[in-house]
Amino acid sequence: MHFVAPSLLLGLLAAALPALIHRIGRRRARPIRFAAMELLLRAEREVSARRRLRDVLLLIVRTGLAMALPLAFARPFVEVKSDLPAVTGRSQSAVVVLDDSASMRRRGHDGTPFEVARARARAVIDHLSPDSEVALVLASEGATAPVAELSSDRARVLLALDAVPCSARRADFAAALRRATQILTGSPHGDRLIYAVTDLQATGWQEVSLPPAAAGGPELVILDVSGGAPWENRAIVGLAAEPAPEEGAQGIAVVAEIANFAAEPVHALGVTLALDGVEVARGFVDVPAHGHARKRFVHTIAGGGAHEADAVIDHDGFPLDDRRACLVEASRGLRVLIVDGDPRTVRTEDEVFFLEAALRAGGSGFSVITTLADDLGGRDLASFGAIFLANVNRPTPAVAAALVRYVEAGGGLFISVGDHIDTDAWNQELKKILPQPLGLKRTAAASPGAHPEGETVDLRPAERLAPIDRRHPLLSAFPAQGDGLSSARFFQFMLLTPLPDAPGRRVVLRYESGAPALVEAEIGRGRVLLLTTTVDREWTDLPIRPGFLPLVQEAARYLAGAPSGEATSAIAVGQKREIGLDADDRRIEIVRPNGDSRWLSPASHAGEARARRLVVFTETDEPGFYRVRAARGDGSVSDRPDAAFVVNLDVRESDPARLPDDKRPDRVATPALAGPAPQRRLELWHALGAAAIVLVLLESLLTLRFRRGRFKP
Amino acid sequence: MPTLALDPQDIARLESMSVRARVIVEGAFAGLHQNPHAGASIEFAEHKEYAPGDDIRRIDWKAVGRVDRYYLKRFEDETEMRTFLVLDASASMGYGRRGPSKLTYGSYLAAALAYLLAQQGDPAGLLLFDDRTRQYLPPRTRGGHIRDLLIALEAVTPAGRTEPGRALAHVAEMADRRSLIVLFTDLLDAPADLADRLRQVRSRGNDVVVFQILDPDEVELPYDEVTAFEAMEPDDARRLLVDPRDLAASFRRESLALRERWRQICVEARVEYQFATTVEPPAEVLRAFLFARQRARR
Repeated sequence: MHFVAPSLLLGLLAAALPALIHRIGRRRARPIRFAAMELLLRAEREVSARRRLRDVLLLIVRTGLAMALPLAFARPFVEVKSDLPAVTGRSQSAVVVLDDSASMRRRGHDGTPFEVARARARAVIDHLSPDSEVALVLASEGATAPVAELSSDRARVLLALDAVPCSARRADFAAALRRATQILTGSPHGDRLIYAVTDLQATGWQEVSLPPAAAGGPELVILDVSGGAPWENRAIVGLAAEPAPEEGAQGIAVVAEIANFAAEPVHALGVTLALDGVEVARGFVDVPAHGHARKRFVHTIAGGGAHEADAVIDHDGFPLDDRRACLVEASRGLRVLIVDGDPRTVRTEDEVFFLEAALRAGGSGFSVITTLADDLGGRDLASFGAIFLANVNRPTPAVAAALVRYVEAGGGLFISVGDHIDTDAWNQELKKILPQPLGLKRTAAASPGAHPEGETVDLRPAERLAPIDRRHPLLSAFPAQGDGLSSARFFQFMLLTPLPDAPGRRVVLRYESGAPALVEAEIGRGRVLLLTTTVDREWTDLPIRPGFLPLVQEAARYLAGAPSGEATSAIAVGQKREIGLDADDRRIEIVRPNGDSRWLSPASHAGEARARRLVVFTETDEPGFYRVRAARGDGSVSDRPDAAFVVNLDVRESDPARLPDDKRPDRVATPALAGPAPQRRLELWHALGAAAIVLVLLESLLTLRFRRGRFKP
Repeated sequence: MPTLALDPQDIARLESMSVRARVIVEGAFAGLHQNPHAGASIEFAEHKEYAPGDDIRRIDWKAVGRVDRYYLKRFEDETEMRTFLVLDASASMGYGRRGPSKLTYGSYLAAALAYLLAQQGDPAGLLLFDDRTRQYLPPRTRGGHIRDLLIALEAVTPAGRTEPGRALAHVAEMADRRSLIVLFTDLLDAPADLADRLRQVRSRGNDVVVFQILDPDEVELPYDEVTAFEAMEPDDARRLLVDPRDLAASFRRESLALRERWRQICVEARVEYQFATTVEPPAEVLRAFLFARQRARR
């Protein structure tokens, strides 16, 4: 221990004063001859223990007070070795990269890793030499830097540091270090350092690359706040809803995929399913070490519309990934009506043979009913989620009107063409719901190209599909290259009469020649998909291609508005969400899980008509259900359950694997990082001053108490 | 009507013990609205000289014929009773910080009783003791006896250790017939066998009264600075250095417990117990005592 003013320690002699005063006081005591000595001695015996205790306490307190004051005035301090790297004491330009990813929110012995990291970051900033400059960057994906330029205003940086919350996003150190390097680029200091304060979760350090220090790049110092100990974690890494036909039209199955990242298996892990906030089922599941398990809940939904499904497992130290949500749509059920426009006695030659087979394929959950065009008039179309018209010759006016009503009321219609189509009748009777008027039939003239070995070859000239755009929900499940669709050949197809761009109409698939293959149109509250070829093998071999089954199944779900798993309704934390506006929508309100809401208007400067029909929501910071409301043209505000969405934690944040030492980018030996650990002066006079105040209060309290009480028997 | 119940300090200023005794008795009877010379005592007098205010139906006309003086008749239930005034003159009785000492106060009470008895023609004796009998005056009714008794009371000084049991035993030997024994002491260092001695004396048919006299300091302990307390009696080396404020509450409790203990002992031994502090007017103490006697007789 050292003292700033050691001469003031002479004041410690005052510590003897209380004892001295006590002794003098006793010596000066007046002697009195007293008759009732026996009573006096008895009274003394009764209170002597407490009196001695009081005397000792008061003596200690007063002596302590007499010592604390001169000690405090002497300004004592100790020098302790700092656990910070030696380089922190040098003059430098520094960027502190604080890991605020979701995994930093797990519970630890000393609070959350984020709290520890923030304290370490504060220590680094505090310890930088006065002429150093510092900036603050966050490591979570898409986060903005709290202090994006080098600043010598230390207080401002610390204030920004204190205000940083821990996000639920994934870590992206590649981006954060790029940003830090960019900030340091124009620094006048010779020493440029990046301090990454992190739990070193491996998933956050993928694709990290820094320019070498020798080439003028900054030096990286990693401050590991994980303590090196692995953390065990269990998480729900997937949640999907699918139809459960065995439970009837309203039956759904919610499947939770649970991962165990620990070295020990988990037995009887509790899984709870809640629908619309009400717990409806609870079960248990065994999950092997470093393995996955699935828990399937079957439930019957009461009522239509979107429902919020929420699965929760028994909590561990990282509760954020112990729950996952998805939206379940049970609007019209999944009854599909197929209208066969070209029935054949030979089953395999029937127009809808492949279509029926694809829709009935195991696990699809569709309830498929096939009928003939002539019988369509007697059907209650509203009871079907989607209707497929396959090569239907010409709808009667009554049927056409029923189909228009069906679509405008929210139904989904899939139209495929063929030789039986009466284009004039269609263009006339179904003009309202056709995405584009039908035109001439075209026969492909191009060479069929190469064929995979072993394939049955049809040597007719054929077209292929152009690369697909996976942004469309129908195609999001297909690989980027369109595997399963790209191999399909189209010998004939129907051209469509061009129309000016219209909101709600778009080409989903095109032939290589540019002609539309699949066109979508939003009509009223419904949708229509028009396939410009057949669904049998007469005009194309698409039905025998791997992509046919998912294409028609997704089309049926898409048209019926039914769930197809997380993909269509859920996004990861931090991802943006595009929300389309209905024809009458003016503004969109998004209500976040915590109840906050944001109003968004379509971008007015967007040139494209479609751009004006979209809003983009980026504040998907917290997991949970995000509800959507729309302000209409007439001033009313109503819910848009079809646009509601779910934000879930990025599953990569659940993986506790640490970045191996040999892959740490800071493990390159750098002379600048060596050197003795810096010393830190720890002032003690504040504590002594506080102790003196406490002792004064204690002394007053003791004196007052003993004077008042005087050892009442 | 002016009261004659003077404070002890006022009484101390009076010139002699006989005056003090008279003032105390008059003070006591002033409160009773009776003439102390009117012979209201029904207990001490074998014959009582007539005084204005007495019931003339009680005049003993035979005695008038014999001695040519008016005496009142004795009641049938009354018997001649000699009184022994037993005063503790040990060193501890000498304590008195803000007024007369306990010994002085006790001597006032004894003198007043002796005066009253002499007025009524009852024989009163005096025994002054510490750990032994220091002076003994047997009960008499002759003219100069009261003067000797008052002189002895005025001259007494505190000294020695207290042995009230031994004094009582001495008195019991002297009291060859039913007597009234009045003990004045502080009972602070009274030995445990005093209770047995009281029972013995009472069992012989004697009427016993105990006056416990304490200084107010021995009730409240009102000291307010660190004090070295030392025992008063010889050969008692007990000493205590203490802040009395720490002990006051406990001391009050102990003092009260002591008085209650002796009161209980007296009740069990059928001994009358009277308590007085040295700041109370002796006349009031005497009056309370006389009242108690009257009540007991009824």
